[in-house]
Amino acid sequence: MTNHAHLRKDSDVLLRVEDLVVEFKVPGNKVVNAVSSVSFDVKEGETLAVVGESGCGKTTLGKALLQIQKPKSGNVRFEGNELTSLSKNDLRSARTSIQMIFQDPISSLDPRMTVRQIVEEPLWIWSKGDENERLEKVKTLLNNVGLDPELVLDRKSYEFSGGQCQRISIARSLALEPKMLICDEPVSALDVSIQAQILNLLNDMKDRYGLTLIFISHDLSVVKAISTRIMVMYLGKVCEIGTTESIYAKPAHHYTAALISSVPVPDPTHKVERTPITGEPPSPVDPPSGCRFRTRCPAATELCATEEPMLREVSDGQFVACHYPRA
Amino acid sequence: MSSILKLENLKVRFSTHRGQLEAVRGVDLDIQVGTSIGIVGESGSGKTVMSRAAMGLLTGSNVTREGRVTFDGKVLSEMSREDVRNEFGTGMAMIFQDPMTALNPVRRIGSQLQESLRVRLGMSRKEARARSIELLTLVRIPEPKHMLRKFPSQLSGGMRQRIMIAIAISCNPKLLFADEPTTALDVTVQAQILELLTDLRKRLNMTMVLVTHDLGVVAGNTDYVAVMYAGEIVEQAPTTELFANMKMPYTEALFKSIPNIQMKAGSRLPVIEGRLPDPTDRPPGCGFAARCSYAQDKCFTEHPELEVAKDGHLYRCWFPLGDSVPRKVS
Amino acid sequence: MRKLWSTFNLPTKISTVWVMIVLFFVVTGSFLPLPNPTEYDPDASGVGLFSPGHILGTDINGYDLLSNVVNGARISILIALISVGVGGLIGSAIGIGSAYIRGKLDIVVNLLFNILLSIPNLVLGLALVAILATSADPSIPIDPNRRVFIIIFSLTTIIIPILGRIARGATLSWVNREFIVAARSMGMKDRHIIFKHIVPNVLPAIYAVIFLAIGVVIVAEGALSLLGVGIIDGVSWGAMIGRVAGDFTYAPQSMYVPVVVLALTVIAFNQIGDHLRSQLDSREGKI
Repeated sequence: MTNHAHLRKDSDVLLRVEDLVVEFKVPGNKVVNAVSSVSFDVKEGETLAVVGESGCGKTTLGKALLQIQKPKSGNVRFEGNELTSLSKNDLRSARTSIQMIFQDPISSLDPRMTVRQIVEEPLWIWSKGDENERLEKVKTLLNNVGLDPELVLDRKSYEFSGGQCQRISIARSLALEPKMLICDEPVSALDVSIQAQILNLLNDMKDRYGLTLIFISHDLSVVKAISTRIMVMYLGKVCEIGTTESIYAKPAHHYTAALISSVPVPDPTHKVERTPITGEPPSPVDPPSGCRFRTRCPAATELCATEEPMLREVSDGQFVACHYPRA
Repeated sequence: MSSILKLENLKVRFSTHRGQLEAVRGVDLDIQVGTSIGIVGESGSGKTVMSRAAMGLLTGSNVTREGRVTFDGKVLSEMSREDVRNEFGTGMAMIFQDPMTALNPVRRIGSQLQESLRVRLGMSRKEARARSIELLTLVRIPEPKHMLRKFPSQLSGGMRQRIMIAIAISCNPKLLFADEPTTALDVTVQAQILELLTDLRKRLNMTMVLVTHDLGVVAGNTDYVAVMYAGEIVEQAPTTELFANMKMPYTEALFKSIPNIQMKAGSRLPVIEGRLPDPTDRPPGCGFAARCSYAQDKCFTEHPELEVAKDGHLYRCWFPLGDSVPRKVS
Repeated sequence: MRKLWSTFNLPTKISTVWVMIVLFFVVTGSFLPLPNPTEYDPDASGVGLFSPGHILGTDINGYDLLSNVVNGARISILIALISVGVGGLIGSAIGIGSAYIRGKLDIVVNLLFNILLSIPNLVLGLALVAILATSADPSIPIDPNRRVFIIIFSLTTIIIPILGRIARGATLSWVNREFIVAARSMGMKDRHIIFKHIVPNVLPAIYAVIFLAIGVVIVAEGALSLLGVGIIDGVSWGAMIGRVAGDFTYAPQSMYVPVVVLALTVIAFNQIGDHLRSQLDSREGKI
């Protein structure tokens, strides 16, 4: 059974993921399908947001793309290279064109190193340039992310606020001039007024360095500000994928609709039309049969329990895995 | 309407190795019975310290509290620690951001829930059990009998928060403090918990103080909003009035900088430059002046007091928005 | 260094001074104008404290106690430093490596550590010495050098799991930090990750425990001697304690002097170690 209706022509895309499966062993000799046969692709210059609640597998997916978490099966093709079958050494060099930014800005930086050492590290690993050239590059990078090199170079990470640490992380991730940046909840640990700064910075860096972004987040307000395409995940499966406009305007999956209507709107006159969704996601150790969302879905029937829905196109470029999509 | 909680010139100072840190500097707040008020602010604004100080939960040799706190006709700030503690549960109750650390991991839900019923309300074992099943039904937990036997670690975050709420309302408190009650939860669960809190508040006729960083959470769930910045209330108004007619530039800047699901996809957000003033060394003028795009000379030198506009709208600004005073935009 | 000293409280300062004095004896002991520790004074056997020529008195055979304590520091402290140094190095390497690699290796290593730690130090040391450094025929005495070597070996064996577990635990808490994942995603080699990121972050935890471990070893060496399997013929604190045996009633100072010196030294090392650890904890808190 293939679930590839939404994939685009191989030659057009920068990253293509097919039937990716990532499993964990959990106590009690059980296996969790954190990512369960996920396929998607990303074109150069796109910002794909991967959206879902905790336990949907979005963070695991990010790590599996970089092969930091070894997938059990499936393919990850980046610029024509099959990352899952590369040797350790080839993988090392392939990874330099995909970099990652993490949620916790403090734990992303080695507390014993100065900002200069941190940002210089990728250049040191790959012996890029001599010491002076590297220092110049570090200064340029810090300038680009909005930090004054003279003030920050010799300080250590714990002297900085969360927002500043995230800027340092971004500078480090750009040092090797990657093509793709995977951002795992990069603003959710930051104060509300700082989030906008980091989102704007990511957008600026995307333009300046010609980046393609994968933006992993649980926050649909944040995602709306930055993404061009959205993939919604639930319990390790893709529910819906489409352009940002179409997803917000006409969510076809009942889960997407519930997510969108659950976001608190800063407007007291806004009438809440809450989709009747109750309960919490079931344990990924023992997911429901058929459609994994059916236990919470207002439209579920017997069919949903017996047959897993495949992704199919509902409108131009918008695909949904649901037997009874919303009109 | 009568006042349930009144803070008068509440100040909290911490002595640190860097000197005196003034976390809350003179907050006046009068909360009416049966209303729900949102305290909004970023981390470091003093919102959590203020609510803990109001409840008398801040203790320690390095903390100094000044000002008067009146709860339900009793002056808490002049009562002994023992007497204040007697107000907890029946007078006021609190729910926290992280329900996992607020629950005892080695005791069953049932015994934690029944404890205060038996100790505070003097119920028998049987009564307490019946009442706790009632409470669990009230917070919409399916199969409440089953739940009594479980341990906190066996529950999801949302379920734990429901248990916390059940414990908090078990002795019919008049005032419920909710400190970031949904921040640790998933969005769909957050919506359910907020709905539950609002519903319970109306049914049990409780007053609620909702402390949060999220303007969205405040908008849908409160009657009044107080915005805190650098240890002070900088704007306070009925919720609809505040969102319709922001007077304080900080409130407006915060509102605009927050990613909002109603904005156009891919739109660039305006940002607040700079950072909070150092709490050990507050500037003489308005705390927001250095980051404010409307600031004038006066803002840097003179500290603004809370002004009262119509409709009970309070603001702390020399040049409030929507005013006809000519302003140069820097 | 001066910054570190300024964080010390009075007991830690006193402890540091005491450790300095002991270390001074270790280095200069044999050059100090003291009686030869291995020659007895026939005119003063078993004299008490503050006797002329023997400030700390002598034992029943007339050996000068001060000279023995000062010169004994050399072997006692060197044994402690060597076994803690070697044991710490091996233990840390095993602990860090096993926590970094994880998997089956880590399970086995952890099991071994737990088994070793479950045997009381003294029993383990006693068993090792008994097996390796006693001769079956009492008429052929065992080479004293071999005995010292075996004692160091068994003390090292005591230290390896103690420090290994600390290193393993500290590594586990660092290895999942996101900067380690970031380093891997930048294509950093494992050995560079270990030496650039993990070791520098794990070391402070080990430093603090090393001082405590030195105390453990000094005590163990003394205890082995008391049980008669320590260094009997040489000059060490343990040997002094071991020789007292039945003489206690006639010359109690020959027991008190080495025991007090040993206890003070152990307390001093523990005090410094505890202090370093609390410093470390408060700094970790900031990070």
